[in-house]
Amino acid sequence: MRNKLVERAVISGVGCSRFGDLLETPELKGLSIQELMARAVKEALDDAGITGQDVDAVFAGNAMVHSSQVPGTYSQLSKWTGTQFKAGVHFEAQCSTTNVGAAMAAMSVAAGVYDTVLVYGLETTRTKVKGFSPYEREPISHQQTWLWTDMAVNQAYGVPQGYDIFSTYNGLVALGYCRKYGMSIDDFDRSMFELCRTRRLHGSMNPKANIQEKLEDRAAREGFSDPYDYWQSDKHNPFVAWPSRLLSLVTTADGASAMVITRADAAKGAKSQPVELKGFGISYSDLPWYGEDATYWEFDRRAIDAAFDMAGITAADIDYLHTHDCSHISGICTAEATGYLEPGKGLAAARDGRLRFDGDRPMSTHGGRHAFGHAWGASAGTDTYEAVLQMRGQAGPRQIRKTPEISVIHTHGYAMIGTVVVLGSV
Amino acid sequence: MPNVAEQSSAIRSYYEGLAKGVFRAVTCKACGGYTFPPTGCCEHCASWDVTPVELSGDATLLLASHNISPACHPRFEKIAPYVYGHLRLKEGPIVQGIVLGVKPTPEDLKALFERGPVPVKAETLQMSDLPVIAFRLAG
Repeated sequence: MRNKLVERAVISGVGCSRFGDLLETPELKGLSIQELMARAVKEALDDAGITGQDVDAVFAGNAMVHSSQVPGTYSQLSKWTGTQFKAGVHFEAQCSTTNVGAAMAAMSVAAGVYDTVLVYGLETTRTKVKGFSPYEREPISHQQTWLWTDMAVNQAYGVPQGYDIFSTYNGLVALGYCRKYGMSIDDFDRSMFELCRTRRLHGSMNPKANIQEKLEDRAAREGFSDPYDYWQSDKHNPFVAWPSRLLSLVTTADGASAMVITRADAAKGAKSQPVELKGFGISYSDLPWYGEDATYWEFDRRAIDAAFDMAGITAADIDYLHTHDCSHISGICTAEATGYLEPGKGLAAARDGRLRFDGDRPMSTHGGRHAFGHAWGASAGTDTYEAVLQMRGQAGPRQIRKTPEISVIHTHGYAMIGTVVVLGSV
Repeated sequence: MPNVAEQSSAIRSYYEGLAKGVFRAVTCKACGGYTFPPTGCCEHCASWDVTPVELSGDATLLLASHNISPACHPRFEKIAPYVYGHLRLKEGPIVQGIVLGVKPTPEDLKALFERGPVPVKAETLQMSDLPVIAFRLAG
């Protein structure tokens, strides 16, 4: 495998909707999924200074078609995005969808097939089509969401025999981390509290985040003077897979994201500052995702190594990192695997506030899967959106002090496709 | 309708084995590795030359947590929350599955964690519509 992009590709425009609930969240309530998607696409096209007729191809991502009910997304959305008569495909890589799309777009540009590709991702994990209505929606139950989501997990043997994402992705990894590094369960719990505080702080500074309330403020609203007492409250923050608690997890959301990828030379003089897609790595695995060491995931190792090799970077070059944090402890393990955090020291870094936007190891400044929220096939695009804003110096109050020149974005597409994208300033 | 012979299926064979307390895998004639639960291809070297084998059911429980309640799948609503473990089979494969013989409470799981790896034995847990594998703490 040569593992090279033979021509440079850049992200020339990014877009992202508010994440939340189409039935109740301000800025989303009442929207159809067509209009939700169009908002993100319009922002990306406007950012790039082009229209839908200026792109050559559309890669349309949507993972959970059970709730969206728009397979053939490219054509169903074409008149909402101005992209009629383009080349297109509907694809999914679950929660890595939009960044796998970015990689496919970079490949098609580098191969000389297309000059400009629009990639978008759409997902509704909070609401689904109501009956046969073309515009009315209704809530999805917790069990229904996971029944549909877990269709991406081993359906021969895993799910039928009691597979549970909360223990596999959280509790067992947490215990493996504690045993490997000699950390007490009490220290683990305190670290998870501090990590959640950081994610919620970032969400509170992001007007597009699903949760925009700091953990301390939520605790006070519930009558707790000490937010750690709130954290340890079984009523408000139960163990979902001991020793992992509810607030160390993803929050579901409806949302959409989009990006425009084009030839580097075609982006010169573009409306907005382009960011180079310098490299990517993709590797997948069926269950089990790890061997005896629950903190080591071979497919992530391979994806990280491939991306760094293609981009020509090392861990020391990373200025900003997002790792998939549906599970906060899994996200820390991946951050350690990239070399951005020292193995066994990731939770200490979280406790010390080093992962905050104003820390020396900033991560997930949009709020991550917990505070920003998670709309499966759209979320990787929001991670890229945030990195691009940070690299342009456009992240507002959560702007990293030293504008990042190299950003690394890791996502897990259920279940599991490790995807790593390396972005570089042009 | 013509009388069409039914093809063999590794999945059906696995669950039919479980119903009888037999734990079926395949081994690879090329590399000797186990693939468990069974498929028609070696998960280690990608050889198609695999042959059925029965496992002992002996295993070591490495880590144990519990599932969320209510369960993600309706099949397990009646037994949730249940203990879910990370295990190494005597023959080598790493698996995850339901664990019996310990309560899904923080206190009991913490005591189990502090004991370190413990021996377990596979058995069949008969759900209303499907036999599933489970592992019971030995002794």
